[in-house]
Amino acid sequence: MTPRLYPTQEIGSIAKPRWQLQGQRGESLDGPARSEFELWNQKLEFAPSNGTAATFLAGRSREVGAAQVRDWGALFALRYFESAGLDRVYDGEARRIEMYEYAIRQMRGFQFLGHVRPFDNKYYLKAAGTGEVRLDHPYHIEEFDFVKAHAKGEPKLPITGPYTLADWSYNEHYLGRQKGWKGRTARRTAQREFVVEIARQAIRPTLRALIDRGCKVIQIDEPAAGTHPDEADLVAEGFNAATEGLDAEFSMHICFSEYRSLFPALLEAKRCTQWAWEFANRDSADVDGYEVLNMFKEYGDTRQIGLGVLDVHRDEVETPQVVASRIERSAKILGDPARIWVNPDCGLRTRSLAVAYRKLEAMDAGAKIARERHDGSAHR
Amino acid sequence: MNVRTSLTGPFPRSEALVTATRDLDRGRTTPQAVEELFRATEQEVLQLEERLGVDVVTGGYLDWQDLFRPFAETWTGFTVGPVTRWFETNTFYRQPILHAPPERVAGAIARRLPAGLHGSGAKPGKVIFPGPYTFATSLENRSGETTESLVHRLGKLLSEEVQELRGTGFSTFQFQEPALVVRPPTGTKAEATLAAYRALAEGLDGATSLVWTYFGDAAPAFPLLHRLPVSVVGFDLAETDVADLTTWPDHKGVGLGCIDPRTTLVEDPVDVAAIARTLWEKGRPSSIWLGPGGPLDLLPWEPAKRKLHLLPAARQALTGAHGGAA
Repeated sequence: MTPRLYPTQEIGSIAKPRWQLQGQRGESLDGPARSEFELWNQKLEFAPSNGTAATFLAGRSREVGAAQVRDWGALFALRYFESAGLDRVYDGEARRIEMYEYAIRQMRGFQFLGHVRPFDNKYYLKAAGTGEVRLDHPYHIEEFDFVKAHAKGEPKLPITGPYTLADWSYNEHYLGRQKGWKGRTARRTAQREFVVEIARQAIRPTLRALIDRGCKVIQIDEPAAGTHPDEADLVAEGFNAATEGLDAEFSMHICFSEYRSLFPALLEAKRCTQWAWEFANRDSADVDGYEVLNMFKEYGDTRQIGLGVLDVHRDEVETPQVVASRIERSAKILGDPARIWVNPDCGLRTRSLAVAYRKLEAMDAGAKIARERHDGSAHR
Repeated sequence: MNVRTSLTGPFPRSEALVTATRDLDRGRTTPQAVEELFRATEQEVLQLEERLGVDVVTGGYLDWQDLFRPFAETWTGFTVGPVTRWFETNTFYRQPILHAPPERVAGAIARRLPAGLHGSGAKPGKVIFPGPYTFATSLENRSGETTESLVHRLGKLLSEEVQELRGTGFSTFQFQEPALVVRPPTGTKAEATLAAYRALAEGLDGATSLVWTYFGDAAPAFPLLHRLPVSVVGFDLAETDVADLTTWPDHKGVGLGCIDPRTTLVEDPVDVAAIARTLWEKGRPSSIWLGPGGPLDLLPWEPAKRKLHLLPAARQALTGAHGGAA
């Protein structure tokens, strides 16, 4: 089915509801969590208000069980996106802790070594690749099955890409095979091996299994792509190795990067049909955040664009008019409105559920305005 | 061959500190409890440094949220801005926003130094500051001042800090300058950097001074680095190939960043010694300082501790002398 003009999609995780976090831990819901559950359930009807939900609200989370709470979390996110009007949805990554540790824990050949500090008092657990990368079982399968069974539209599954998993790990095994001093050449050679092995041994079998279960649209997240622009060719090589011989729509999500520094190397990601990038964050009264789209014209690249129109780092809710203007400016630069999918810059997990929802509603309304204006001008 | 060893930047937080600071943010512990743990862990780092026989100790600068935060929080003219990527790493700093020409506040930075450095430890302590060029080019400058003028001004302000700390007994100062090799200054910016370091030299008044570069190849920047009036120029051996060096100024020491904080693999001391000897053949540096190539807090606590053992091992491989317990 041909999608409508300016179709909308989510791009990743949303904040986990307070009731989900407390419920998964088997705690009785506190007042704010109970109110939050009741408010959203009234709106989205993700849990029948009698039976188990009543037990949950009565403070007996343990009786309900973590699995049921997680299912509600996934269903909540699905309905959240759907009711905001989005065409392509997922479960807000309701079952995942975060995008690195979960994936690495599914693989062999890694050892977690401790926490590192990205900034302030924030930390993440970091692993070293200490052996050949292998996968015991494909992952995200049950999660996808649940979404597929409950989503009203076509789901789009997000998965962390091979380059990011390699970049966020220490490379002991492949670098250790390099002889002598580990200078730039040795590190690059080893990094290439690491990326490609993660792609071939872990990501590709997972994607194949997901596609076998009916997954047709897959977003490969590569937030680390912008960290080392001189390795953009490795990002593309990893993408190609992960998707080789597979039949699905693949997009690549990158954000908060100097995109020009990644081109033209990134263009070699041949099976990528959509670039889903952040733009709104860099758009202001003084700076045109969408000007960088000219780059696609310069390189003759005609793939779809997942157009970030919501700044996920600000509580201020974009107006539908601002969203429409961003879409129209982009359509003009690209010269083909049919290439545009409309989405937030990145996952909205940094915003409260209430703010994120209003942003998504504004996105839907903005796309509608742009769509109607396009249709109006087409009929004149 | 005068070989010295030292940490060259922040040390990672222990797993206990990770838990405590997370708990603090979630309201599960008290600031006093976390403060006490910071001080105790600092002592642990100092003891590790002494055990490994390093020549000047640091205490790890564990509670500095980033290289600029103590300055952005205590000097006038600044506010603390958004989370910003720290060069090509998966770490970030809060970008200082400069609204007006900055002024220092006497004693404020001294109070932010690791408490153990002020004590009467067996080893002298090293003060680690941002270099004026990296500082000026990493902040958002809304003050109206040109970058050149700001680099020079920051050099003068840092010089005043150095003077104050000289008065309390510190005699080794290191300036972190990744930007000098990642986005090397040219023309008027290069001259401003020189002027900033000349201003710093006045405050240093004969103290040992190190400029430490990392995250980039230092070779293209050597002509400028060699002109800086500092005792030692350090660079990251993971990024810079000493084969690209043709000479080294006689009067200047060289800092070899021989521990790569981007990998948990422990470097081979024999390799480090071979690199140092290659450099020795190209010039006669007044001293050779061995240290991490960049901030060790890119590693978790245990791997960082493991990797530090390279320092005495590399010194031994180079000179045959034991520098401490390996």
